[in-house]
Amino acid sequence: MTDTLTPAALREPRSDDHIPVPRDPKAPYRAGTWTAIIVVLVVLHLLAFSATDFHPAKLLTGAQGMVNFLAEAIPPDLSPEVLQKGLEGALTTLWIGLLGTTISVPFALLLAVLGARTTAPNTFVYQVARGILSFFRAVPDIVFALIFVTAVGLGPFAGVLALICHNTGVMGKLWSEAMEDIDPGPEQALRTAGASRWQVVANATIPTVLPQLTGLLLYRFDVNVRSSLVLGLVGAGGIGLLINKAIKTFQFDEMLTYLIIILVVIVAVDLASGWIRKRLQ
Amino acid sequence: MSAVTVLGTPAQTQTNSTAEVLLDVRAISKSFGDRVVLRDMSMRVHAGEVVAFLGANGSGKSTTLRAVNGLIEADSGDITIAGVRLTEASAQRRAEARRTAATVFQKIHLVQRRTVLQNVCAGGFSRLSAWRSLPPLFPRALKEEAMACLDRVGLADRAHDRAGSLSGGQQQRVAIARALCQRPRMILADEPVSALDPKAADDVMSLLHELAVEENLGVAAVLHQPHLARSYAHRVIGLRDGGLVFDAPTADIDDIELASLYL
Repeated sequence: MTDTLTPAALREPRSDDHIPVPRDPKAPYRAGTWTAIIVVLVVLHLLAFSATDFHPAKLLTGAQGMVNFLAEAIPPDLSPEVLQKGLEGALTTLWIGLLGTTISVPFALLLAVLGARTTAPNTFVYQVARGILSFFRAVPDIVFALIFVTAVGLGPFAGVLALICHNTGVMGKLWSEAMEDIDPGPEQALRTAGASRWQVVANATIPTVLPQLTGLLLYRFDVNVRSSLVLGLVGAGGIGLLINKAIKTFQFDEMLTYLIIILVVIVAVDLASGWIRKRLQ
Repeated sequence: MSAVTVLGTPAQTQTNSTAEVLLDVRAISKSFGDRVVLRDMSMRVHAGEVVAFLGANGSGKSTTLRAVNGLIEADSGDITIAGVRLTEASAQRRAEARRTAATVFQKIHLVQRRTVLQNVCAGGFSRLSAWRSLPPLFPRALKEEAMACLDRVGLADRAHDRAGSLSGGQQQRVAIARALCQRPRMILADEPVSALDPKAADDVMSLLHELAVEENLGVAAVLHQPHLARSYAHRVIGLRDGGLVFDAPTADIDDIELASLYL
């Protein structure tokens, strides 16, 4: 006697155990839909390949150029001066990302509350708030950076301002969606108890949605640190600026050192924010 | 709070017909599109009594309560709350009148991440100025009043626990404390015990019964369990297809009448 059932222990199939599967009247329709979707996707990709000069062969024939480039970059320049410059630059990049995220919090929160269907006072305000968020989201941070550089000059400050603008748009949108998605019950309960709109937002909406808001904030911090790097390339300071200079002066080994530092910083930020987000759930 | 003290004895605590009328609903109707959910529904709630609403799903029980607390507006008919006729009152008077009826929900609707005490304080928000409406700024008087409400439902010792850490039955009692902090004359309970186990359901119903009898509150409760209505309600209102079927003292209702609601 064994504890498990062996196939032999199952009963024999009876003759009436099988019923023919009825014809699915929607089957041809489903097949047609799938064919159409695949055809459309293939056509779109063919158009995209030709528009972007997508020729993998070119990559092979031009491989020598990349090899030369890498040969000059390896080994990285690990001299103390370069390392110190790189670390200072990376720290600046980190500060730009931090301030760009935290200073946009009040603006994003206000626009999120006004731009969430469940908390907006009326449709007019809702539409205006959505419009502002869309604008800040649609303009890339690099464009904001170029604009601010003309006002405050080259340097990290322009980068912080650029990130505040773009991040307000993105984070405000994400937050307003999080607010719309929560269970409306507690908000309803407070409203029927006679609470004002502001009282409902401050005491039902925000406490309920706080873990999601914090998770999105950390995610945006993560993204903003990487963005501030790119902003450095256009003159907004930090390690991006150092990379730009190294390339322009053909110091590819120095550039590689900076890239390695960035890699470490970004992985560290990613791990830290991931760890905190997991804790929040 | 034992169920035994009230089981089978609603007649002893029957309200006299001279008690104050807190809620007078007259011939209200409500449709959503083509679907009529309430037709010419009339009922009253007096101070000091528990009125149970019974009926199948979609019979209009909850809709009646929602027309009273303002979550929906009736298409026609008249509702008078605490002497204020809603159709004739200004928007502000209407809101004030509706505030005298506190609502308790099936899904409880506490803010899970706030403490029990902070949740109860929310019942007093209509009396609170906007700038004091964050937990660190709640006035001491409000917090003390909320503590008294919590004590009334037997949960004063849980004041600083997170609402989400309490059991379903305890959470519903906290929601009743929040309703009490609203200083209501009346409690509208929309399926208050449908999500609770039988013991917790008994606790909550006997609490509502006590509040009616001892504090002279009017309680209108939508119920899905006829036996709870028998044990705790002074009067039973039966609805079917959006209309009133019967409205009688609990002792006068027999099982056949109750069963007819669910046919």
